[in-house]
Parts: sequence; C-alpha cells; structure tokens
Amino acid sequence: VPNPVGTAPADRAAAGRFTSVLLGFGRELRAAGLRVGTGDVLSYLAAMAPLDPSDLLDLYWAGRATLVSRHEDEPVYDRVFGEYFLAEDGPARGQLTVSAESVAKAQAELVLPGTEPPDQQPDEERPLLGWMASDVDALKHRSFTTCTPEELAALRRIMTRMRLTPPRRRTRRTQPARAGTEPDLRATIRESMRMHGEPPGQLYFRRRKTKLRPLILVLDVSGSMTAYSRHLLQFAHTARHAARQAQAGRVEVFCFGSRLTRITRELASQRVDTALEEAARTVADWDGGTRIGPSIDELVRTWGRGGLCRGGVVVICSDGLDRGDPEVLALAMERLARLCHRIVWLNPHKGDDPDFRPSSVGMMVAAPHIDLLLSGHDLASLEELAGTLPTLN
Amino acid sequence: VEYPATVAELTRHLRDGGYLADRGLATTLLLSLSLRRPVLLEGEVGVGKTEVAKVLAAVFGRRLIRLQCYEGITTSQALYEWDYARQMLQIRALSAAQASEAAQAAEEPSIDQLFGPKFLLERPLLEAVRQGDRAVLLIDEVDRADDEFEAFLLEVLSDFQISIPEVGTIKADSSPVVILTSNRTRELHDALRRRCLYHWIGYPTAEREAEIVAVREPGAAGQLTGKVVAAVQRLRELDLAKPPGVAETIDWVRTLGVLGQTELTADAARDTLGAVVKDRDDLDLVQDNLAEIISGA
Repeated sequence: VPNPVGTAPADRAAAGRFTSVLLGFGRELRAAGLRVGTGDVLSYLAAMAPLDPSDLLDLYWAGRATLVSRHEDEPVYDRVFGEYFLAEDGPARGQLTVSAESVAKAQAELVLPGTEPPDQQPDEERPLLGWMASDVDALKHRSFTTCTPEELAALRRIMTRMRLTPPRRRTRRTQPARAGTEPDLRATIRESMRMHGEPPGQLYFRRRKTKLRPLILVLDVSGSMTAYSRHLLQFAHTARHAARQAQAGRVEVFCFGSRLTRITRELASQRVDTALEEAARTVADWDGGTRIGPSIDELVRTWGRGGLCRGGVVVICSDGLDRGDPEVLALAMERLARLCHRIVWLNPHKGDDPDFRPSSVGMMVAAPHIDLLLSGHDLASLEELAGTLPTLN
Repeated sequence: VEYPATVAELTRHLRDGGYLADRGLATTLLLSLSLRRPVLLEGEVGVGKTEVAKVLAAVFGRRLIRLQCYEGITTSQALYEWDYARQMLQIRALSAAQASEAAQAAEEPSIDQLFGPKFLLERPLLEAVRQGDRAVLLIDEVDRADDEFEAFLLEVLSDFQISIPEVGTIKADSSPVVILTSNRTRELHDALRRRCLYHWIGYPTAEREAEIVAVREPGAAGQLTGKVVAAVQRLRELDLAKPPGVAETIDWVRTLGVLGQTELTADAARDTLGAVVKDRDDLDLVQDNLAEIISGA
C-alpha cells in the first residue's frame, strides 16, 4: 500500500488513520449493496497516491473510478459518500484532516443526495408526471418464501426440466463446413503446405454460424397478477440458468408494476430462494398498481435503445389491465415491435379458452404488435411456450 | 512528451488538444496514467468517449492504435495473422531455387524465415504490445464483440503479453494506456469491469457545452452557439427516442455556419433539424414544438 503522506512516525500514524478511513468507506459501500472487493479498496488506496488526500473532490473521484463499475451503482456511491465524508456526524469527519474550504467546495460541486435514500426520487416525480391517484405503489417487500415448500419443490422439479430455446439467427462468424459458399483459404493453404506447397487437391469451405437470439422476459408483478407472478419469477430464474448452463443465448429479466425494474443480476444466484429473495428486495412495487405503457416505454428507452432487445424475442407476461394512457402503451409497443424480432404475450386471463378476445384496453391496444398470444396460467401453457419458442423464425 | 502528474495539468493539456474534460474524467484518466490500468468509459451516444483516446494520443505524441470491435471479431483480426499468400509464394520460390541448384545448406534458415516477422501481419493488440508506452490503445465499442472475445481481451489486458507459438512470447516493456468504450448494448463481464477504472460520461451542462462548441468550432459566433446549445438542452428534456449528443450540437452549429446563418430562426432550424434529430417520430414531435424549443433561446 503506497503511503500517501510521508515516512516520519507522526506521518505514518496519519497514514494509518487515512487507510482505515478508506477501508471503512469500502465496508460502508459493501453494506449498501455494492460489490466492493479488497482488491478494489487497494486500488483506491493506490489511486490516492498521485492525488491530494486532503481534497474531498479527489477522494470522491478516485473512489468513483476504482470502486464503482456500473452506472446504476453511482447513486448508491453518492449517497454513501455523502453520509461518510460530508455529513456533520459522518464517521470520516474526526479522522480526516480536511480543510473546511474543501468540504464547502465538495458540497457545492457534488450534487449528492445527502442522507435521503435514492428511492425517494421517483416518488417526488410522480405528481409531475401526472400519475393517477388510484395507483397504489405498494412499496413493500413481498416474500417469495411464503409459498409452501412442497409447492415450490414440485414446481422447481418440473421447471428445471424446461428449456427455453429462442430461435436462431445467422451471425457474421463462420465455421468450417463440408460444403458452403465461402472457400476457406486458410484451411486450403494449410493443407497445401502440408503437401510441401503443391497446389491444393481439395478446396475447403466455411459457412456462417448461427446463434440463439436473446430472450427478454418482462414480468408483470402488479396486484392483479399476484396469483401468477411467483410462478413467473421462478420460471424466469430457471430459464436464465438453463441458458447459462447450456452456454446458450442471453436471457434478460425485467419486472414491472408501476415502474420497470431490471432483475437479471438479482436472479444470478444459483439457489432459487436466494435469487427470488434478492429479486423481491429489488422490486419496490410488488403487488401494486399497473402501468404497462410507461414500463414498456422505459424498457424501449433505457434498455432497448442501447441494443438489449435488438433482434431478440420479447416475452411479456401481463393481463393487460393498464391504468395508464393507452396511447403511451400503443406507441411503446410499436417501438418495441420495430426493435425486437418477435413479441410473445402471455396473458393468464386467456386461460384455456381458444376463442379468447382481448377485452382490456391495454390488450386491445397492444394486440396489433403481438406475434403470439399464449396463456401462461399454468405449467402446461408454459410448456407450450417452450415448445413454440424455437419456431418463431 | 511525458504524461503529467496532476489533475490540473492533465486538464490543461487536454484542453490544448481541444477536449474539455471535467474533474471526474480528468481524475480517472490521471489515475489510469499513473496506475497503468485501463479505463472503461460508458455514456450516452455522442458525448466524446472515443474522442478522449484520440486527443490523449495527439497531445502526448503517442500513436493511436484503434481496435474497433464488432460482432464476430476473431483473435486473428485483433492479434496477428500469418500472411499465407506470401508464405505460399516464398515456398514456390524456394522449391524453384532448389531445382536449379543444390542450395540444400540454405534450406534450414529459409524455412525458419517462413515464420519470421516478415510474414507476420500485426493486428492492433500485437501492435500495442510491441509499442508499449509509445501507444494509446483504443478498444472501441467493446460491447459489440461477443463474450468469448471479452474473455480473451481480459487475458491480454492483464499482463500485456502475447504468445505466438512460432515466434515466442512478446511482452510489453511498459504497458500502453488503454481506453475501452462501451455503449451498453450488452452487459460487460464483472471481471473486465474489475480490471478497469470506470467512468460514466453524461451530458454536459449548458455552459460547458457552449465551451466545448467554442473549442471545437472556433469560427462559430458566440451568440449563435448559445442559442443552439440552449435549444439542444431543451431537446434533451423533451421525450425523444434518440436525444442529441454533444457531437450533434457541434454538427448543428457547423451546419448553420455552412448555410451562413447567424440567427437560429424557426426556418433555419426547420431546414437543419436533420443534423440533430435522427428519428422520424422525434422529428414529428420536434416540428410540433419547434417554436417553444428555439424561443427564448
């Protein structure tokens, strides 16, 4: 660990104090949910060597560069930094020799949310956006473990056998093939070299590889879907892990009620219970109201525009009971349809009725953009989904 | 030119090169220079991620080596490849020489030469390893390459050495500055993120954007720039599918300049809107609100 201060005994004590302050900061970040390893903290310490340890702005930016590796984590970092270094009673205040001027400058330049948790922000926006009063944004953590163990175990057994295989597409990569359109110059010449440079007796070929399209699951976890959402999440977890084990395509999972939450990373845990708990903690609007339009819109804007859905198969599980403006949903669906390859909609209310006609406004608006409508209300229908998915070319 | 030792100095150098870096970006770059760790830059489209590497190379007299990632990029396109056609010709030439006279003694070295540097086609990564500190390596849009390529990249970035079976191991005497950019079309692996310093480049504030335009388009009138920047800032607040980046702002100012406009009038804006808004739905939305967007600007 480089010594940021000096080598005299008094300086060394100060350096020790400084190190422990930064270590403490790392611990706080970890407690707030960021993945900060010991190596990252060491980088942080090393990063402070060429900088000024008494300057809070340097402390801030060095930490941002070394401890945060995702844009989504930045608000959490900002909050913890504010609490730890800037707050009057913050742990670093007594330990660190920081000029009052530096604190004032840092407070002015960094727009930190102070001690308010970042979750508050969307709530403040709500009236501005004209969210409807009837929307109950139930900010409670719904536990998945309330499901009876037998029920879960049975579901898990059956679901792990299910494989979601999206259709394939051709990629730019090629592979050797017995017959193909492109000659494999490399292999042909290699063969010729083996014959001491004689002209090759046989021409080798390559053809384009195929690859699984990405699969994007968008699950409705609002109040009207309570009975199904738990199964759907379990299903999403299985789908994600099956894909990972088989090293097949990419699976992304999103949840929405009154707003969209990405839970792909939360579902990463191998153990189903841990993964679902983790997901439940992230999804703030469990069993709340539904705003499909804005949620799909956000999916298209923040994730789809970046290319996450491009050429993929999007599976939306929802009953289409939208409290929002149908216009928004129509526009968002149109955009999504243009962006992805196919849209599959699972509507549990469809049930086994083959003559099902969408009755909710949301479903009617979305219908023109849906390529396949299934029910998804029981395991059999989920199996049907797994069966039809590879044929959606 | 030596790399600077303080944030202020680095900021000044970058500014001389026509790039305005804020405190966060400058600090991250300085750390990358002193710790010799790659920087991963993410951010909205058109905020100058690629530009950072270009300016860094230009200002400090380094060679810019660019590896543009795309789907299906293979190691032979990133590392090295043998020049098969030349090897082939060499073999034919050798055997012809052999037939005419007994040059058996010279045969051994000629075969060795076949896998010598003459027949090695250097691709960006090998070139960067050879150049070491004399280069800035830009790995652009790393999210477009496939996962497997990322794992390979990780290996190269961790110790900057490349093994070529026929030649041996090539190691960088000092590692080059590496800048990776990503547009987040795909989640990058944690391992790669771990290896890098991370910085998110957001949209600049109005004053800063005006400064950037002034640096990049010195010929533009300050008044026009101010109005364009204000309009673009308002466009970003609007609910657009593709909000304009800084590059679009500069383009717009340049376009207006080419047309000889000194004022951002409704007509001039309507004619040149294609420089900033690049989506049909967005265009409709902006056309409807054009007066509001440019008024008071």
